[in-house]
Amino acid sequence: MSSNDQLSKAAEKTETLEESGEQGMELCSHHGVTLKMHKNYDCSGTLSLVQYGNIKYIEWKSAEVNVDSDTQDQEWAVVSTGRSSRHRSSSECARAEPLRMNTVNLRSFKVSRHRHGQHLTFAKREESRSLTTFIFLHGNADSFVKALLGHLKAYRSKKDRNLYHLDEGDNQETQELRRSFAELNLFTETTPYGMWNLIGQFRQRPYETAMGAFCKVTDVLLYRPVENDESNVAELLNHSFAMEDEAVIANVSGEEYEVIDSTTTPTLPSRPLVTRGSPLSVERWAQAMDVEGRVTDCTAIKKIIFHGGVNPTLRYEVWKFLLGYYPWNSTYAQRMSLRKAKVEEYYVMKHQWKSMTQGQEDRFADFRDRKSLIDKDVKRTDRVLPFYAGDDNPNVELLNSILMTYVMYNFDLGYVQGMSDLLSPLLQLMSNEADAFWCFAGFMDRTCTNFDIDQAGMKLQLQQLHTLLSVLDPQFTNYLDQHESGNMFFCFRWLLVLFKREFSQEDIMRLWEVFWSDLPCPNFHLLFCAAILDSEKELLYSHHAGFTEILKHVNELSLRIDLDSTLCKAEGLYAQLISIESDLPDAVRTIIGLEPLNPVQGDSEDDDIKEEEDDDGGDSTHTEHDSSIETVSLVASNEVVFDRGLNHQFF
Amino acid sequence: MSGSNRVLGRGGGSRIASGSTPVAQKRLNNSKNALLKVVILGNGGVGKSCLMNRFVSNHFDQHTFHTIGVEFLNKDLEINGETYTLQIWDTAGQERFKSLRTPFYRGSDVCLITYAVNDGNSFKDVSMWCKEFLKYADVKEGSSFPFILVGNKADVSEGERQVTQEEAQNWCKENGNPPFVETSAKNASNVELAFRLAVERWTKFEEKLDRHYENEVVDLRSVKPPERVSCCMSATASSEE
Repeated sequence: MSSNDQLSKAAEKTETLEESGEQGMELCSHHGVTLKMHKNYDCSGTLSLVQYGNIKYIEWKSAEVNVDSDTQDQEWAVVSTGRSSRHRSSSECARAEPLRMNTVNLRSFKVSRHRHGQHLTFAKREESRSLTTFIFLHGNADSFVKALLGHLKAYRSKKDRNLYHLDEGDNQETQELRRSFAELNLFTETTPYGMWNLIGQFRQRPYETAMGAFCKVTDVLLYRPVENDESNVAELLNHSFAMEDEAVIANVSGEEYEVIDSTTTPTLPSRPLVTRGSPLSVERWAQAMDVEGRVTDCTAIKKIIFHGGVNPTLRYEVWKFLLGYYPWNSTYAQRMSLRKAKVEEYYVMKHQWKSMTQGQEDRFADFRDRKSLIDKDVKRTDRVLPFYAGDDNPNVELLNSILMTYVMYNFDLGYVQGMSDLLSPLLQLMSNEADAFWCFAGFMDRTCTNFDIDQAGMKLQLQQLHTLLSVLDPQFTNYLDQHESGNMFFCFRWLLVLFKREFSQEDIMRLWEVFWSDLPCPNFHLLFCAAILDSEKELLYSHHAGFTEILKHVNELSLRIDLDSTLCKAEGLYAQLISIESDLPDAVRTIIGLEPLNPVQGDSEDDDIKEEEDDDGGDSTHTEHDSSIETVSLVASNEVVFDRGLNHQFF
Repeated sequence: MSGSNRVLGRGGGSRIASGSTPVAQKRLNNSKNALLKVVILGNGGVGKSCLMNRFVSNHFDQHTFHTIGVEFLNKDLEINGETYTLQIWDTAGQERFKSLRTPFYRGSDVCLITYAVNDGNSFKDVSMWCKEFLKYADVKEGSSFPFILVGNKADVSEGERQVTQEEAQNWCKENGNPPFVETSAKNASNVELAFRLAVERWTKFEEKLDRHYENEVVDLRSVKPPERVSCCMSATASSEE
């Protein structure tokens, strides 16, 4: 492959500037970039770095009329998915004059994230007020910046990670040194994603790889002793998990580039020693009710449950409150009539599927599929427990009936693997079919996002766990990131069935009732994950465990986790977080139910490069896209997830 | 070309040594034995985990849990004097978990597509699994991949059987002639054979790639299939007794 070929491969587009008579070599370019003019009109075009002789120019020219650059290029067409409304076709605006800037005259450039994509601003050397801003509507300025870094002598500002200074061309060696440090910095600060992207960049930049200062760096990157099969898997998982990264970033207002990493993590105080309390006793429970049976101080009751669980003899009753079957403030009489009505309702729904004829079933594929799945799974759920053991066990039949009835209760959700695990302890405790059903329905209300069709709920939790961990234990988080495990996939089973597969039936009941107390904060189960991992990390370190080893180790923890000490540790972790509450990043605050300190609002302020006031705020094509809406729409579509994954590569 | 791309893609350059056997190449990645990534696919409840557990620990539990997420086990297998370490990946079969399952296809060396002989639907979905695998395993379009077809639960009575061997063999004929074997994880018949066939299939493919016999899939396969087919048939016949 000739170096020219490689060059053109490095460039995302290869075209020459029509307007220039001179034949320049295009080093990199990017379509769909809008030039932000001081006069109130913007225009879409192509931004490129072009070399004429020894001098490199930043060039921008407006797009051809009627050409939608996005649809020309498959790759970027994917990126624009779901946000095409943002794109303004070039015919909408007046053709702007092409623009050319000699890079020698440029002092610095900076990337900033805005409501309407990313801005790339160049500052000239002489007049520091002279700025030229390009708007990347699809928020993918980073890829262009990466490409620029491959061709220009620039180094990253120590103060601002998004600011790059261009060298005046003094001492070649110093520049290269600076640059390699900047690249290394990038490497440690970003997720494995950035790292892989960086490798891609290295491969695409033969010039740089030849440079002495870089040789060692590339060696380390290219020939790392990593099992590549694993990395591939991890990379793909990152693709599908990437959207929540984005969501978190969107939540962190102002500093939208702020990825929580070791440099910005607040230091936690030492973990307080926590002990478990005693379970809710029969006497205390009786005390909690008034004469008519209302639970008067459910807050106090929940506190007791959080610290010590429920006396097993009371579970049958208390769980109905915890799972929302009985309201806390209901009287004995109300509960009696409520139960009567609920039992009736259950049998009505049960009758619906029971009375389905063979012919109906034959013509009802969705129903048939759900039925067949349930049938297979109940035969494989907790059959080692005496309650479900043996052939023709009626309890297995009950499990089946309840799940089938749930399909009729919530046909859209239907049956998803994992639900039978969640139901099994409830049925064992309630023994009664209808009661077990309504407790299960309440449980599902809390956990149904685990079973989302696009798995968005699971992905979000894995991402939230990563976010929490990055504050609780930056070192370990870093280890996971560097071992292709930053996607936290190895916790998938824990979260999907809320540790059902990790504990004995008795322990899982004790754990779930703690979770159902909703204390001390939302997502306490994620802190519980963090607590387990805290106990295992030394072992993982010592074995240099990578993606597969971590997955295997975590899978094999099943039935080997000590419940009480882990609960204590999880509570301790919460205490640590809450003691530095005001220093916590908003991404963490929202996970544990605290109000964000800086609610998401408009554009961020830049300090190094002061921008002109954002003058496109009133534009009707733009106003609907504030970041909160963007986050919501992200969760809606799988394609967008992919799009985010793609974008994420460039961070 | 596609094959060597595939190798390069996963091996990161460590397997480029030309002229060496696939096993030797694989060894470069792993100090002792050649490590093969084996993926077991198929509908929920056909017995993927049971096949894996029977093969790895010679243990069968009728009531094993359905798999949640992804699990894997390692097992050494000696074939023609070479010891292979099989890293067997077992995934959840429900459609819902597709997006979390498919990343694990990447980098696999051989694939077992499974169905249960008493579950007609699971056999109908075999083609779907094949397609899903090829799509996500990063196999270049038009090129073939070593996989074998496994009909599990061969221990069921004739009355319960919904898929005949003939049907499965016909499917194989129309789909690149992969080896086919009926197994029973329950009574341990042919389970090791299935994994053995899978590894042999992989070796054949790698040798073929080394010799640059591209697009000659049919020729190479016709060398051995008669023996294979008869071996499957006799083996299953005995398992049904």
